[in-house]
Amino acid sequence: MSSPALQTRTRVTRIAQEAVDKARLTVVPRVRTRAPRVPFVTLVSAVLVAGIVGLLLFNTSMQQASFSASSLEKEADTLAARQQTLRMELDELRDPQRLAQQAQQMGMVIPPAPVFLDLETGKTIGVRTPATPENAIRLDPPPPPKPKILQPDPTVVQVPATASTASTKTTGQQGNQQGKKNRDR
Amino acid sequence: MRRPVPSSRLRPGASRGAPLLRLRVGFVLIAMVLSFFGARLVQLQGVDPRSYAAMAAAEGAVKIPLLAERGDILDRNGVPLADSIQGKMVIADPSLTAAQAPAIARLLSDALSIDYFKALTALKGRKEGSRFEYIARRVPSTLASDTLKAIDAAGYDGVSLQDDPIRDYPAGDVAANLLGYMGTDEPLGGFERTFDKQLAGVDGQATWQSNSRKGVRIPLRDSTIKAAQDGKPLTLTIDRDLQWFVQKVLAQSVDQYRAESGAAAVLDTRTGEVLALADYPTFDANRPSEAKKDDLGSRAMNDAYEPGSVEKVLTASSLIDAGKAFPRQRFKVPPNLARQDRVIGDWFDHGDIRLTLAGIIAKSSNIGTVLAADAFTPPELVDYLKRFGLGQRTDIGVRGESSGLLTTGDAMTSQTKDRVAFGQSLSVNVMQMAAAVNTVANGGIRVSPSIIAGSAVTDDGVTVGTDTATRTRVVSKKAARGTAKMMEKVVDPEDGVAPGAQVPGYLVAGKTGTAQRVVDGVYDGSTSVSFGGFAPADDPRFTVYVVIHRPMVDGGGGSITGPVFSRIMGYVLGRYGVEPTNGKPSRLPVEW
Repeated sequence: MSSPALQTRTRVTRIAQEAVDKARLTVVPRVRTRAPRVPFVTLVSAVLVAGIVGLLLFNTSMQQASFSASSLEKEADTLAARQQTLRMELDELRDPQRLAQQAQQMGMVIPPAPVFLDLETGKTIGVRTPATPENAIRLDPPPPPKPKILQPDPTVVQVPATASTASTKTTGQQGNQQGKKNRDR
Repeated sequence: MRRPVPSSRLRPGASRGAPLLRLRVGFVLIAMVLSFFGARLVQLQGVDPRSYAAMAAAEGAVKIPLLAERGDILDRNGVPLADSIQGKMVIADPSLTAAQAPAIARLLSDALSIDYFKALTALKGRKEGSRFEYIARRVPSTLASDTLKAIDAAGYDGVSLQDDPIRDYPAGDVAANLLGYMGTDEPLGGFERTFDKQLAGVDGQATWQSNSRKGVRIPLRDSTIKAAQDGKPLTLTIDRDLQWFVQKVLAQSVDQYRAESGAAAVLDTRTGEVLALADYPTFDANRPSEAKKDDLGSRAMNDAYEPGSVEKVLTASSLIDAGKAFPRQRFKVPPNLARQDRVIGDWFDHGDIRLTLAGIIAKSSNIGTVLAADAFTPPELVDYLKRFGLGQRTDIGVRGESSGLLTTGDAMTSQTKDRVAFGQSLSVNVMQMAAAVNTVANGGIRVSPSIIAGSAVTDDGVTVGTDTATRTRVVSKKAARGTAKMMEKVVDPEDGVAPGAQVPGYLVAGKTGTAQRVVDGVYDGSTSVSFGGFAPADDPRFTVYVVIHRPMVDGGGGSITGPVFSRIMGYVLGRYGVEPTNGKPSRLPVEW
């Protein structure tokens, strides 16, 4: 309370007041400022709640990010796989065998010897040899041999020779290849 | 205070009045429980803490193997001959699929083009209580995931996918004999196996904690990623399109002459790089199981055979280099030549004829070659042949290469020497012979052939490739040029035996060969016909060597392999833009 302060004011006129005042000790009043509690509690609670909610949100968003990372990774994998599949298809389209088949179907053949055309002079270099269908190369392997049951041995029937009929033979289809004369070694 | 209930006082042995006893019993109980806890603590922390820690970590841990991508095998232009793509294996858990097996099997067999009944057996489980069955392996990733989506959509459970990389050979059988092929998990042949260390790479692993079935990561928990190290690509000196062409031309001729097999090699004369090395019969590297086992390797490298008259080129150039013969040297060639143990004859009937050395080569006279080679002792001839590379492996990096057979000089009798001089009684592989002919083309300097661009280390620890190619002079430039001039006469329509080997517009030098084949230790009457040569003859750029084994149609090196040579040479000259040189053809006389 403020009573000691009032007392000192009343004794202002005393002699040697200063010395007296120095010698005397008085109790300093306890100053109590009562701060309003509500804002503080509110603030602390708000910080607490905000922290917890923030942590929760942060956690949730991290989890969310983890999910989306997973799904994006999966998508990247799928796209990479798609890209590789497409590359494989492209490589198959570039297969020389396929190109040759298409070219040969269009009537193109690989020439037996190259001829060069000089664009400046318009002259050809090399011997101009016509490319003919014979220059076409065989692109597909020969068909596998048929099983025996589909290609039986030719049946040979010996008919006793009579005056009217000559001996006849029935033969199956057989490819025969002309052997070339062995003229060189 | 309430008065105690009278009934409790009546109960005998009621301990309510003995707090001390209750306290003791309580303490004993607590002590027992605590001692259990203590024992458990000692067990967990004292006996084997690590295994428990590991078990705790494994709980909810997801381990994903990160597969290293296998390195591509590329041709000289960077075109892939073998490449790896992501694939999946389709697996089933029969405990979940057995009930709807037929329906799932139909779906799978339609989508993946696999056998319905095999799929059905797998889905039902091959064994009682099985939880894991393969349905299909190496399915392209996109197809596999599309199929899985369809199965999920249809409401079936128990089918899943796992990574399973696919090795794809886009050009099928092109260079298959060299590349080799992959088995289920490991390489089984060819470069795939020889250079596996380089191609394979190292698998990695990703580990993280997850609490869901889909394996979604828990953030801020342990997660480690050891990235996979992809394999390094292997670049060959092979030219894919040329290789394809050579294979097709070779296959056509082998089939046309109903031969057993054939091989062809194309070399860049100056660098010794192998541009093509073809074998027939061959196989599709994507389907090695469908091929015969014998066709899977490289016959060109692994089988040795007697080269026949192409070898005369080496004898002749050695003789010229040693100063013991010259192209215009004159020989009297009798109809047959009686040597110690047997009579040597020529392939064509003739009386006494007068041929120059050039004529002997052009007409491929055995008798003439033997007479010319009389100037050599066996060690002298063998020494030259060794320097040409015969009798030792070329070590280009192909597995199981045969070294061929060449009797050592001091062990060689004069009869053997006579036969070796015209290409019998010694054996070679295709690359040895191609490199030997290439030596003559390259002005007498032998460039060791190479099929790997740069360098690579084989599984035997040998470094191979263009970086390690060596150059050694075998015969003088003059001897090589002289021999080339003589070889031009071989394709001469008037004087030679192989006009079919000509390439219109170009000067071609070559030599035919028709050798008797050794089968099970005896000459069985079958032949190996071959042709080796180079063009343009006055400035050689490419060497082509072709051999066809056991043709069933009568013919020799000129008529059977000559046209094959011509076709390949014409193509390679055009492909690499080599213009005709307009040089003067050889005017060496063949007779006198």
